[in-house]
Amino acid sequence: MKKLTPLLLPGALLLAGLVYQYMALKMPRGGIAMPGPGFYPMAVGVFLIVTALACLLQELRNPDTPRQAAPPLDEATPEGNRVGQTVRLTALMVGYILALKPLGYPVAIALFLLVATRIFGSKNWFVAVIFAGILTAASYFVFILWLKVPLPLGILDTVLE
Amino acid sequence: MDVFGGLLGGFSVALTPINLLFGFLGAVIGTVIGILPGLGPLGTMALLLSLTYGFDPTAGMILFAGIYFGAMYGGSTTSILLNIPGEAASVVTVMEGYQMARRGRAGAALAVAAIGSFVAGTISLVGLSFLAPTLARAALKFGPAEYFTVAFVGLLIMTRLTGGRLTRSLMLIALGLALGTVGMETVAGYMRYTFGQPLLAQGIDFLPVAMGLFGISEVLITAEEQHQSVQMQKVGFRELWPTFEEWKRSMWPMIRGSFIGFFVGLVPGPSPVISTMVSYGVEKKLDKHGEFGKGAIEGVAGPEAANNASVGAAYVPLMALGIPFTPAMAVVMAVLLIHGINPGPLLMSQRPDLFWGVIASMYIGNFMLLVFNLPLVGVFASIIRTPLFVLMPTVMLLCLVGVYSVNNSMLDIWLMIGFGLLGYFLRRLRYDLAPLILAMVLGPMMERSFREAMMISRGDLMVFLTRPISATILAVGVLAMLGPFLFDRVGRAFARKP
Repeated sequence: MKKLTPLLLPGALLLAGLVYQYMALKMPRGGIAMPGPGFYPMAVGVFLIVTALACLLQELRNPDTPRQAAPPLDEATPEGNRVGQTVRLTALMVGYILALKPLGYPVAIALFLLVATRIFGSKNWFVAVIFAGILTAASYFVFILWLKVPLPLGILDTVLE
Repeated sequence: MDVFGGLLGGFSVALTPINLLFGFLGAVIGTVIGILPGLGPLGTMALLLSLTYGFDPTAGMILFAGIYFGAMYGGSTTSILLNIPGEAASVVTVMEGYQMARRGRAGAALAVAAIGSFVAGTISLVGLSFLAPTLARAALKFGPAEYFTVAFVGLLIMTRLTGGRLTRSLMLIALGLALGTVGMETVAGYMRYTFGQPLLAQGIDFLPVAMGLFGISEVLITAEEQHQSVQMQKVGFRELWPTFEEWKRSMWPMIRGSFIGFFVGLVPGPSPVISTMVSYGVEKKLDKHGEFGKGAIEGVAGPEAANNASVGAAYVPLMALGIPFTPAMAVVMAVLLIHGINPGPLLMSQRPDLFWGVIASMYIGNFMLLVFNLPLVGVFASIIRTPLFVLMPTVMLLCLVGVYSVNNSMLDIWLMIGFGLLGYFLRRLRYDLAPLILAMVLGPMMERSFREAMMISRGDLMVFLTRPISATILAVGVLAMLGPFLFDRVGRAFARKP
């Protein structure tokens, strides 16, 4: 799997380049004296395909190993757990977006901060709750009351309005 | 308006209480993020970009200039005291600075780094004050062909300087150019790659891309890497004074570093990092004391001056031509674009208050940094002990709310997360992100200039070679691309001769 990782990006970009080029070819191209909307994307598409292919071939011939995460101080932490942090944080951000409209900003961000604080190593729930509460209140005052960012209030709409 | 008149007007803008406050805030934020490993000036500026929407553009520019300069100051503190470079441009300082600290000369190293940064900052600002207006006046003669070649050659040169494989940089440039074509095409109003999403008609906004690539990816990488507990060297205020010998040995490296930094800063690419390496290499070659690797003060003075000088220089192409040559300058340009101001040769005549106000505020910010950085060095260095569970969730909150606040768009949050993951994978695979973000910013300008050049010349591609300025820029590009290869060949040929 590690050998395949450097090939993933040029491979994916080669595919993306082919789709991009297919769509560019469907646009009106015009001529060199009066280039149309598809002229430049067509050139970019060719450039993307050629460079992705060159990169793919180079990675196949002479692979460059991906950078490893820094060795943890706690040597017992396996690689899987560290990559798991990325998965957890990504899932947390996606969860925040999905919860933003139904629950509203204050509740969604408070829950988000609570979990994020734990992911980043706070071992004490009490500290996490206090920190999440303070930051939620501060961000509510700064972004909603002061800067008037129209963040959804969700279930607290009637209370906070 | 001459330079001195312009600067006088600029100081009247920069010395207003609100602009002084933003300059001070920028300097403090910059120093703090310079100290904290991971979050660099670029990520911070991307993070705060959405907030500048509510500010006056001059204040926003002043804030960002303070952050950029401050990060260069702050980065040296932890390099010297803790052997941890706060950000990429201070990596070289670790080599000699920490060795000096181990020999009990941490105070002298910090003082030389701060004074070197001040001297270099001032020299580069004088360069910026004179060069930017001259270049801006020359740029009034630029037509579409010249703008196309400047951007094209800039991207090409960057591929040689970012390090890593050329094919990778070229592929990311292609990706950036492709992303830059999303949205409504300007001449005929044709929708390209919007997939029926009306929100994409304006193109992919720069903010979610910058926040994702530099902010979110940083958070994800930090989450995987454990924080180290640190032992800090204590430095008393009285120790912050180098000996006469140390002064003597630092003076010329500072001046050399300033000029190296300024000229490297004018070239596209990660100039603060490259300038420190060039300066370190030069000082090592000129070394007469045989102390390099054991705590040579020249190895602190030169590189620390160089990285600050490159910051001032990076503003020259942006302020004069409206073309950002570094990712950080692309974020700075976004501050202007958010307010509907197009940077470029006309900026100086149309918005002299902003043009000169920002330059004047840099002089003030540079002085402020020197004054409060040295006495407070211990306080700033202790910031590194901030727990990750406080820092990172705060950064994520700023990203999530900040990116939404500009267009009130959920799509922007999705895009930010998508680009965050892309940035994370690219960095893990050791790709440099600069070609991607700069190609994305320069792409639309390149397309517009190319199409205009073709329409004016009735499809004659020779227009890029027959116009003198364009031809000269292209020649510089060809030299930069082929020069190292040719020099290498010639060098080898000479080496083979008995």
